[in-house]
Amino acid sequence: MALKIEHLTGGYTGVPVIKDINLEIKPGQALGLIGLNGAGKSTTIKHILGLLRPQKGTISLNGVVLRQQPTKFKQEVAYIPETPVLYPELTLKEHLELTMLSYNLDEEEAWKRAHELLKMFRLDDKLEWLPIHFSKGMRQKVMIVCAFLADTSLLVIDEPFTGLDPLAVANLIDLIKKAIADKKMVLMTTHVLADAQQAISNYAVLNNGTIEIIGSLKEIRAHYGLKPDDPFDQLYLALNREDNGHA
Amino acid sequence: MRELANKRLSENLKQSIKYLTLVFNDFFILALIFLFGALMFWYAQAMKTIPNNLWFYKPLVGIILFLPLLTGHLVTLIKDADMQFLFTQDEKMEEYLRPMYRYSLILPFVLELLVAGILFPFATVKANISVWGYILMIITMLSLKDDQLIIEKRNLYFGKKIDFWVSCLVVLAVAILAAYSQTGALVISLCGMFIEPNFQPMFGKRMNVKKFFDWRYAVDSEKARKDRVYSIFSMFTDVSEKQVTIKRRKYLDFLLPKNLGKENPNSFLYRRSLLRNPEYLNLLVRMTVFAVLISFLVQDWKWALGLSALVVFLTVYQLLPMATEFDGNIMYRVYPISTEHRGRSLVKVLNSALFLQWGIISVFWLIILPINLNVFEAIAGLFVFVWVLTVAYLPYKVKTNKK
Repeated sequence: MALKIEHLTGGYTGVPVIKDINLEIKPGQALGLIGLNGAGKSTTIKHILGLLRPQKGTISLNGVVLRQQPTKFKQEVAYIPETPVLYPELTLKEHLELTMLSYNLDEEEAWKRAHELLKMFRLDDKLEWLPIHFSKGMRQKVMIVCAFLADTSLLVIDEPFTGLDPLAVANLIDLIKKAIADKKMVLMTTHVLADAQQAISNYAVLNNGTIEIIGSLKEIRAHYGLKPDDPFDQLYLALNREDNGHA
Repeated sequence: MRELANKRLSENLKQSIKYLTLVFNDFFILALIFLFGALMFWYAQAMKTIPNNLWFYKPLVGIILFLPLLTGHLVTLIKDADMQFLFTQDEKMEEYLRPMYRYSLILPFVLELLVAGILFPFATVKANISVWGYILMIITMLSLKDDQLIIEKRNLYFGKKIDFWVSCLVVLAVAILAAYSQTGALVISLCGMFIEPNFQPMFGKRMNVKKFFDWRYAVDSEKARKDRVYSIFSMFTDVSEKQVTIKRRKYLDFLLPKNLGKENPNSFLYRRSLLRNPEYLNLLVRMTVFAVLISFLVQDWKWALGLSALVVFLTVYQLLPMATEFDGNIMYRVYPISTEHRGRSLVKVLNSALFLQWGIISVFWLIILPINLNVFEAIAGLFVFVWVLTVAYLPYKVKTNKK
């Protein structure tokens, strides 16, 4: 029972963006994927979601190989994208219904959970709204509600804090913590380490499409020759130096 | 700025030609020739039988000559990014707009001359307008369009704006006047052109003439104009640039299944798209109205059946892109939604729409066509045609479309 990424090489064209990525996330574990822009974080996520076809390597979740059983694999994955993507023709209520239909959820139980989530993100009185009426932050909240409603074993979260108000950030962190406590797996990319470290203790640093180190923030700081209390900005500066070194 | 305008105009022309080539394909040209031929035949017959000099002929000529002026808003090709990158160029926008204004005159002028040519026998023989008077009338109409575009150009600057429909009402009034007094109307239309530089005194100091460009208004107007053009193209072909604004249409919710258990994700999405995406619902309504209208015009059950069957077929044909509608949505690809049987879901949803269309056309036939056994035969014939479409053609096309 785990998300296993083995020797993953891939990208958008013939030239690989990510090279020989190996990751494993077990139930109850969360991993933050960090790196500078263009390091390969989103490309890795797109491969895990089946949006890109790997040039090499395999991705499996609880023994189900993505390439062999894509629908079964996706049944256990929920995704919160960096930019919210909603169906313009569906109301908020219908987005929840579509999630229930797609993930074969029990309607009664799902609605109970949905109402809790809607209340948490202050969307409970907006069930009949179309996406056109939502602000960017509200759309992001709809994505979060749908992802947590799906109740899958793996949550893939891409830059979740962009555009959210501080209350929603706190709520999201609480939900991630609860998901980890419920033995779910979480993979999250972020630049906002100050928020992320409240829920996630392990990180993988991507640089130039390869994983440089996996460990706690303390271990990562040590790896780049930083002091334990150095601000996070220093970590990105160190990555930038490394990046320039490669060039 | 002039180079930028010319570059954009040439790109716009290329894009228009691309879509016009798709719209005016062989079949459409053939249909157009037949329709035009039928219209001209009817016109020639009518010219022999209708009486001369009825009171409404002159205003009718004015109204018909006014209609082409509804086409061709001011083309500006201003983009969202211009608000950022041309923000400091307010005073140079006049230079940018000059070639745009000239370009915008082409379509309404061509259409006006075409309509004027067709209307010439009626105007001069039946409405008793002299040939020179008619020529003056056409010149009036062209200068009225010029006035309208000048107003649209002025509206792009901060200050009081004149609504297009207000200007249309004035133009219509002058067009009707032109049928009675060509010289008077021509003088009015030319005055419109010459008072343009003096707009400021007319509207007071609030009209900040040609100084302060209203970027937001300019971007929104151009978007609305493009949307109208793309809507016309999209009636015949797929237009990737077209942005669709979804309408909630809560009053149609009764057409959606109440029980979620009977649905699958694909039919759930297709149903809502058909009811709320104006591209699809408007098409369905437009085509149904068209079928009823031509049935009313032909007043013959055989023609009504043949033409309505053609309309139903064209409806199906234009609804086919729905099959791949959600492929561009990343969440559709991430959610565990099987695409294997989605063709069946689309066929199921479209079947309901087509039988609804058949029902509406049939009811109108009973009202507008002479009631006899033949009308019922036509209704049954159209039902069989719709049934064949839904069991054979539609599933086949959805399948091949998917490939």
